[in-house]
Amino acid sequence: MDIAYFFKILPHFISALPITLIVIFFSQLFGLLLSIAVTYIQIKSIKVLTPLAHLYISFVRSTPILLQLLLIYYGLPVLLSLFGININFWSKTAFSIVTLVLHNGGFLSEVLRPAYLAVEQGQHEAADSLGFTSFQKLRRIIIPQLLPIALPGLGNGLIYLIHDTSILFVIGVVDVMGVASNLVSSSYGTDQIEVYLAVAFVYWAVTYLSDKGVKRLEKITERYHLENGLKS
Amino acid sequence: MFEFNIFAQDFLNISTVIPSTLALALLILLISIALGGVLAFIEQKRVFVLWKVSQLFRSFLRGTPLLVQLYLAFYCLPVVLQKAALLAYLPFNQNDFNPVYTVIVAYSVHFAVFQSEIIRGSFLSVGYGQIEAAQASGFSFFQTMRRIIIPQAIIEALPNFFNSYLSVIKSLSLAFLVGVVDILAKAKLESALNFRYLESYAAAATAYWLLCSIMTYILGIYEKLIRKRA
Repeated sequence: MDIAYFFKILPHFISALPITLIVIFFSQLFGLLLSIAVTYIQIKSIKVLTPLAHLYISFVRSTPILLQLLLIYYGLPVLLSLFGININFWSKTAFSIVTLVLHNGGFLSEVLRPAYLAVEQGQHEAADSLGFTSFQKLRRIIIPQLLPIALPGLGNGLIYLIHDTSILFVIGVVDVMGVASNLVSSSYGTDQIEVYLAVAFVYWAVTYLSDKGVKRLEKITERYHLENGLKS
Repeated sequence: MFEFNIFAQDFLNISTVIPSTLALALLILLISIALGGVLAFIEQKRVFVLWKVSQLFRSFLRGTPLLVQLYLAFYCLPVVLQKAALLAYLPFNQNDFNPVYTVIVAYSVHFAVFQSEIIRGSFLSVGYGQIEAAQASGFSFFQTMRRIIIPQAIIEALPNFFNSYLSVIKSLSLAFLVGVVDILAKAKLESALNFRYLESYAAAATAYWLLCSIMTYILGIYEKLIRKRA
């Protein structure tokens, strides 16, 4: 162990951190939107779309993320060129965001669907009998009750997403892991332990902070729990 | 474009490594369950100092990606073993250390945290009345464990263990980065021969998908059986 080297290379990783954070942010944002759409399709049981959504979720959940990344990276340009769309100029970061959005969308919809179903039928009926429109019902009754149930699962999803960004260097994205593998290959097989320990600490910090953020949100939404709401 | 012949050929070649992948994943699962049991015991009983260490350990394992842990183990383990072998005057060469052992160690430790959660939850799900009834019947601690708690906890835990078996199989796809051949690694090797990446990755995806569908089907049957008996 060479502590001096460890501190010398730490700034390299911190300068590469924004790329990882951008990937995490966009993947989480669009993944959440996609998962809401998929959950809607699943719950409403629409003719062709619902079996397709089931197929999509089963695929996303049963193949490794690394394989999905490679399939998108090599397969998506071929697939879209059939329709005359050229995406060969896309950056590797864009391909990784697409992969993570697709992965996260399937994963999070498996969190949202049970949370939606966990809101009691009586709540729907009460809102209906008070004459709420379906949008009002969703905004004022269902979503506030759904959030505290879904948040732990969504937080777990965020942690997994952060972990999943560690494989993006396989297609050549220069994020934290990419910098690490460049450092390892340029140091001729020495000091790998320091490099990966530094990576571990960077990831640990990111996960810790996001965990704290999710815990905070959980605290805020706690009062929407039916039993807690009656107390306050 | 997509060549179906190559896809079929790749699929056949990939299916030869499925048994070894399943066996490796099973070994990892069993070791991680044993480790997870120890962790769950330490955290539940709040064993002096070890409890705090295990919390730090858990935070680290949850906070860092499996891939980083795998690389750390890949570079640390041979060096550590070399030092230990020198102390014990054992012959050991770190250069021909098989990376499969690294994978087994890293994955078992990583998944032990998840298993400990499963084990803790399944033990807590056994009703307290059961334990009281056992004590009232004069069972010793060991007897209560063996005859009352563990049989009920196992039924609760099995579906979760099954799910983590699936996630071990999926995570083994990362092992090709340290040179262990599993389903995805085989697909990569196949595609390196003829540069047909898409076909071989599609074949690997089909293999994984089939595996998981079959396992989920078996799990469904098991859960139905349990529900019937309950």
